Amino acid sequence: MLLIIQRSCRCVPTIRRLHVSALEVAERPGPEETVTASFAAFIHGLQPEQLTQKVLQRSKRMALDSIGVGIVGSTTYVFQLVLQHCQSHSMDFDDTWHPATHPSGAVLPALLAISDMLPRNSKPSGMDLLIAFNVGIEIQGRLLRFSNEAQNIPKSRFHPPTVVGPMGSAAACARLLSLDRIQCSHALAIAASLAGAPMANAATQSKPLHIGNASRQGLEAAFLASRGLQASSLMLDSVPGVSGFSAFYEDYAPQPLPSPEEVEPSFLLEEQDMGFKRFPAHLGMHWVADAAASIHKQLVGSHNGNFNPAFIQDILLRIPPSKYINRPFPESEHEARHSFQFNACTALLDGEVTVQSFHPVSLRRPELHTLLSRVRVEHPNDNSANFDLMYAEVLVTLVNGDVLKGRCNTFYGHWRNPLTDNSLQRKFRSNAGAVLSSDKVEGLIEIVDRLEQLEDCSPLLAQLQ
Amino acid sequence: MLLIIQRSCRCVPTIRRLHVSALEVAERPGPEETVTASFAAFIHGLQPEQLTQKVLQRSKRMALDSIGVGIVGSTTYVFQLVLQHCQQMYAPDHSSSVYGRPGTKLSPTLAALVNGVASHSMDFDDTWHPATHPSGAVLPALLAISDMLPRNSKPSGMDLLIAFNVGIEIQGRLLRFSNEAQNIPKSRFHPPTVVGPMGSAAACARLLSLDRIQCSHALAIAASLAGAPMANAATQSKPLHIGNASRQGLEAAFLASRGLQASSLMLDSVPGVSGFSAFYEDYAPQPLPSPEEVEPSFLLEEQDMGFKRFPAHLGMHWVADAAASIHKQLVGSHNGNFNPAFIQDILLRIPPSKYINRPFPESEHEARHSFQFNACTALLDGEVTVQSFHPVSLRRPELHTLLSRVRVEHPNDNSANFDLMYAEVLVTLVNGDVLKGRCNTFYGHWRNPLTDNSLQRKFRSNAGAVLSSDKVEGLIEIVDRLEQLEDCSPLLAQLQ
Repeated sequence: MLLIIQRSCRCVPTIRRLHVSALEVAERPGPEETVTASFAAFIHGLQPEQLTQKVLQRSKRMALDSIGVGIVGSTTYVFQLVLQHCQSHSMDFDDTWHPATHPSGAVLPALLAISDMLPRNSKPSGMDLLIAFNVGIEIQGRLLRFSNEAQNIPKSRFHPPTVVGPMGSAAACARLLSLDRIQCSHALAIAASLAGAPMANAATQSKPLHIGNASRQGLEAAFLASRGLQASSLMLDSVPGVSGFSAFYEDYAPQPLPSPEEVEPSFLLEEQDMGFKRFPAHLGMHWVADAAASIHKQLVGSHNGNFNPAFIQDILLRIPPSKYINRPFPESEHEARHSFQFNACTALLDGEVTVQSFHPVSLRRPELHTLLSRVRVEHPNDNSANFDLMYAEVLVTLVNGDVLKGRCNTFYGHWRNPLTDNSLQRKFRSNAGAVLSSDKVEGLIEIVDRLEQLEDCSPLLAQLQ
Repeated sequence: MLLIIQRSCRCVPTIRRLHVSALEVAERPGPEETVTASFAAFIHGLQPEQLTQKVLQRSKRMALDSIGVGIVGSTTYVFQLVLQHCQQMYAPDHSSSVYGRPGTKLSPTLAALVNGVASHSMDFDDTWHPATHPSGAVLPALLAISDMLPRNSKPSGMDLLIAFNVGIEIQGRLLRFSNEAQNIPKSRFHPPTVVGPMGSAAACARLLSLDRIQCSHALAIAASLAGAPMANAATQSKPLHIGNASRQGLEAAFLASRGLQASSLMLDSVPGVSGFSAFYEDYAPQPLPSPEEVEPSFLLEEQDMGFKRFPAHLGMHWVADAAASIHKQLVGSHNGNFNPAFIQDILLRIPPSKYINRPFPESEHEARHSFQFNACTALLDGEVTVQSFHPVSLRRPELHTLLSRVRVEHPNDNSANFDLMYAEVLVTLVNGDVLKGRCNTFYGHWRNPLTDNSLQRKFRSNAGAVLSSDKVEGLIEIVDRLEQLEDCSPLLAQLQ
């Protein structure tokens, strides 16, 4: 493919504000107070040294996890289907944040695609990737905070990754492509016209396309902006009578981002870590799984390892109200990944939920169905459908009258109780190792770990296949 | 492109319901009552003979107009930009043609994108009520598929017309599921981006002969791609709204044909789970009657299509006609010597709509969406034309003088609704005379449709800007008898 995109030279020096090139002055048309322009300024103006250590660390962990789930996701049917389609989030294993979205899968694929596309002697550095990546994550987090609706999973009319994902991708790609500030603004606005998919397709086979398209749409928006396509310069602002990004929310109260050239930026990823899943299912499943697993332990312990599901008479789940993940008898792999009942019963039976728990054979186990038929559900008033506040309680009544109880407030892998680096790498090895040689698996772990030092990201790209 | 898509044979015979093949019985799993399934059944089950003459005629006129605006749209900057984008950023599939570019081929979805962009690039494409631009979302995708199919498997003209009408009807039906759709300014989403992908998916699913379940999934997959906020309308990006609608629907149909599944209740109202209802505050869907059980009724039968006489938002046509009548009066009473300096004040009585209320438009796109600009242009020139939006015309000092004298009122009885609105223009001259013009239904509106002659004249002006007159006349003739065409290759051949 003949490539005419030139990455414009970055004229902002490493020592901030001590020297402003003539080009930079010419580029800055004057103080802009719109929210939209402030976002563009952030995307464009953020400097590598403004990324804190914590943010660097956390974002590298996200990159590793995302690559791993992507690689294992390449073994799925839906991936095959879409790949054939294109020749050109498949397992719900990707990271999750609060307010709810899956940020990395919307951003990283587009950045890798750009990196692959750029000529051999113009590959981005590891730091270029990390900056662009963090721009994409931060933008998503900021946008999610413009609406209270975003905090409440069931109320969303649109699947959140489809709303903020394209915006994050557009921001990240605009940054990696070194677009100027006005082009960054247009990239965001162009992406907004591609954003937004209704919730109904989540928990169907189409759901992974929500993240895939988010990544692609943002990339496309950045490319179009780089060619000069213009769109609304007030897309992120509240303009009475004209719906912009506000179209996706009932309540929308945007705030400008401080310019990184004037104020040291603060990163949401600094304040709040990322949640990584231990098994490929909706984040809410992890609470019931941990609660149910503790009961499994008790059962196994008190029966000397001989635990028969027939001992169980009743299972009560105390969970937040959310129709989307309340499925008493899931009939597909996708539905099982979105079923409190399924994940609780699997963890009761097996002591854990794993990748294999969703294989067709596992889905059809008779003993699992027996347990499923004994599940009741309650929605306590204090249990809100909010990833920052929810909990899960599991109460199992045995045939002999005993009642065993498990409760999980913060599952292991939640941002308040993050996976250790070891756990994260173990997940990566399990995922990437399903497809890649162990040399490449270890190589990727090592490269991502020192990503900010990589002068040229080619070694990273080389290990991905 | 290696093409593995097989168009499944249609086993329903021409004499309806007298003979049901075993295949058809096997294919029909049982009565479905969901709205979503009813749509799929319509897409799948409609028969050629169920298209009435009126519907055939109207839809051919739409096809002609759409091709014409697409071809002239291929001369615009935004078209050029998006074409280069598609050529360079995607592996070219060498199958589908692009308006106005002989020899240029793109993959079908990108051809649909580019041609949809062309169709809407000048705001010259058709408009319906409730408001959307239906043909530009559907026809480019159908042409792209037709180009893609092997030479001895090209669709017939009737295949195209059926698929086209399925795509139009689906859009019209969806628009009627919400009262919000009737009110232009209240829309959070640009309507063609909400229903356009759905219409395209429906039309493509039909042309690709997808089975009924696949038709349902095509609709649902498209819904995940639908919906762009209003803010990008009246910017350079607006044409991509129609281009992407066409592309997204086609992509959805392709994915469905490969077996991708999505929500089977996308069009239904499901408490607690947003489907297509996500795009509207109020949403009340109704099932479509099955064409196998009930003779279908077409919205296009009840309500014709509006075609624009000049490339601007539909609302502009009302003020233009009203102002043009005043220009006539002025020219008549001054023996042809009309000086804009005679005008002291211009009052426009128009519906409230921020989107098209722009006192001093600063770009071609804004001018196409400015009551004030179009009124003043018609006052000056007696008409609004393609040339009225050229940079030179936009900058005319005498136009700016008039613009500075415009006031706007929003009478209570003038609602922002294409079926109900009117425009009044009152011009006060320096000498105290007040001239008045009013337009209730502009010429080209569905209540006052363009004659075939006028439509063809518009087509000649558009297509003739790019194609030879042989091809222009050839297209007029071919589209006119489209339902008789056994193989649509002659149509495709003349488009470049």
